[in-house]
Amino acid sequence: MSMDIILAQTVVNGLMVGMIYVLMAIGFTMVFGIMRIVNFAHGEFYMVGAFLFAILYGSNEMPFAVSVLLAVGATALLGLAMERVVFRRFRGNEINGMIASVGVALIIQNSALLMWGSSARTVPPVVSGVLSIGGIVFPWSRLVVIIGAILAVVSLNLLVVHTRIGRAMRAVAQDAEIAQVQGIRVDVIFPAAFVLGVSLAAFAGVLMAPVLSVSPFIGLAPTLKAFVIVVIGGLGSVPGAVVGGLLIGLIESFAGTFVSASLAEILQFLVVIAVVLLRPQGLLGRKEREA
Amino acid sequence: MTLPTTKPVHLVGVGVAVAVAVLLPWFAPNQFYIHLATVGCINLMLVLGLAIIARAGQLSMGHGGFALVGGYVSALLSMKGWPPLLTLFVAGLVAAVIAAALGWIILRLRGVYFVLVAFAFSQIAVLLALDMSSITGGANGLVGVPPISIVGYVLRAKPQFYPFALGCALVTLLLTWLLYRSPLGTMMAATAENQRLTESSGIDTHRVQVIAFTIGSGIAGFAGALSTHYLRFISPDSYTFWESVSYLTMLVVGGRDGVLGPVVGVLVLTPLPELLRSTEGLQHIIYGTMLVLCLMFVPNGLASLVHTWRARQHVAPANATRVVEEVP
Repeated sequence: MSMDIILAQTVVNGLMVGMIYVLMAIGFTMVFGIMRIVNFAHGEFYMVGAFLFAILYGSNEMPFAVSVLLAVGATALLGLAMERVVFRRFRGNEINGMIASVGVALIIQNSALLMWGSSARTVPPVVSGVLSIGGIVFPWSRLVVIIGAILAVVSLNLLVVHTRIGRAMRAVAQDAEIAQVQGIRVDVIFPAAFVLGVSLAAFAGVLMAPVLSVSPFIGLAPTLKAFVIVVIGGLGSVPGAVVGGLLIGLIESFAGTFVSASLAEILQFLVVIAVVLLRPQGLLGRKEREA
Repeated sequence: MTLPTTKPVHLVGVGVAVAVAVLLPWFAPNQFYIHLATVGCINLMLVLGLAIIARAGQLSMGHGGFALVGGYVSALLSMKGWPPLLTLFVAGLVAAVIAAALGWIILRLRGVYFVLVAFAFSQIAVLLALDMSSITGGANGLVGVPPISIVGYVLRAKPQFYPFALGCALVTLLLTWLLYRSPLGTMMAATAENQRLTESSGIDTHRVQVIAFTIGSGIAGFAGALSTHYLRFISPDSYTFWESVSYLTMLVVGGRDGVLGPVVGVLVLTPLPELLRSTEGLQHIIYGTMLVLCLMFVPNGLASLVHTWRARQHVAPANATRVVEEVP
């Protein structure tokens, strides 16, 4: 293979992984920005989404669109239930909320282990074939992930910037109390934001299921990535999550192709330390006003 | 909330508990119980380390990472011929130095960032252990780590190792208790209570938190090394994120305030995995459920129930003045 092809494929892989990380990080940073909860269970919703899709699309051979809707919808319901039962009580209590989310992660991951077993499942590819531009081939299976993730990010952006509920969410993120005084129903916004974040994670899981294999343990790695990305991009910043996610995806892909996968992880950690030292509010984050 | 341990009743209680722990090998039905007690001692040290960090208002999700570093340092040095009794302390020191450097950088930020970076550090520690296979043995780990020997007396079997582990745990417990009663301990508690107010009283809260993180992680390094010389084996799987989570569970379920909390948490949660060994998933679900339920209904941990109960006992004889001293 010539250098061009390797480079192009590395970029495509980096963008694909990066976009998945972007989806994970946006959901994570939204939940933190609005509810002030660091959600260690975020990756478990990714795992549940991927598993449900594997069962619906892979094992039961349901139509693609139906499988996606059902997988994301069911995971969103699980998220709603968790918000009702657990997270609601820890709103604003950062430390206890975080510990509770670890408990939720333990419960979800091991319930999946008991229900679905520990063996990895593969999902048949949604599309096959390649796109060839100027002699360089891109597999459609990966392009679909990138396109799907871009669509999700764009529609989320439309929702947050142009709709009533999106404006309300941004208001709550800035100051929940003042927002409530202005007549925004915080009790509705909190679960809505949580479910939206969870749905993004579930959608990321659905997109990745045909590319990777699915097992109960796949949730932790994307959670770690979401953490790294929000520290780099700035906690609570959505553009920061996009930049950070793509940066991490590309670092991972390039270092993985040309050096070694674990070097990529160490590099990411060094980037985090450098950002914390030089620009503590994150690349695109704003300095936080202390309450 | 400091325990008023100067009362004779408490001294008797502590004495009885220590006596039971010391005499355990004589009335334990079999070696398995001694093994469980040894694991409990090691867990207690790890949870106390976590408690010291929590005392200064921080939460370390990378606690297992420091235990892993300590375990590898001690294993590698002792396999090179260093005496294990020395390498235990070297392991603690190395973990403490790493924590001090990392803490100095990340503790300047808000609590959440600290948690995220400490968590990322523990993942990196696991990856390095996997990747540097020429030194660490990769995924297979290091087998045949030398046992600890004290002036020629080799602690190879379980009944011989247990007194040493118990001694280490009791010393850690005593030192933690003394730390909590020292001026530094007060500064730590004040930092956790209200960082800005403490800062305005002229206390460098950043320094206090870095010191707490350094001490706590140093203890984790020592305990990780102790466990490695007990099991005579270490691998990257020895201390993963889920180990860090189980220490956190013990701390939260037991209680974060005094030294009693970690003891209660370890006593309640160490035997649980052994009872549920057949269904590994179920054990984790129970841990998770206990964690969430405790945070909801007993946020100060099971040890706080003792205080509540004692407070009620004091109220009963209509002696309201004595209740005042129970209030933190």
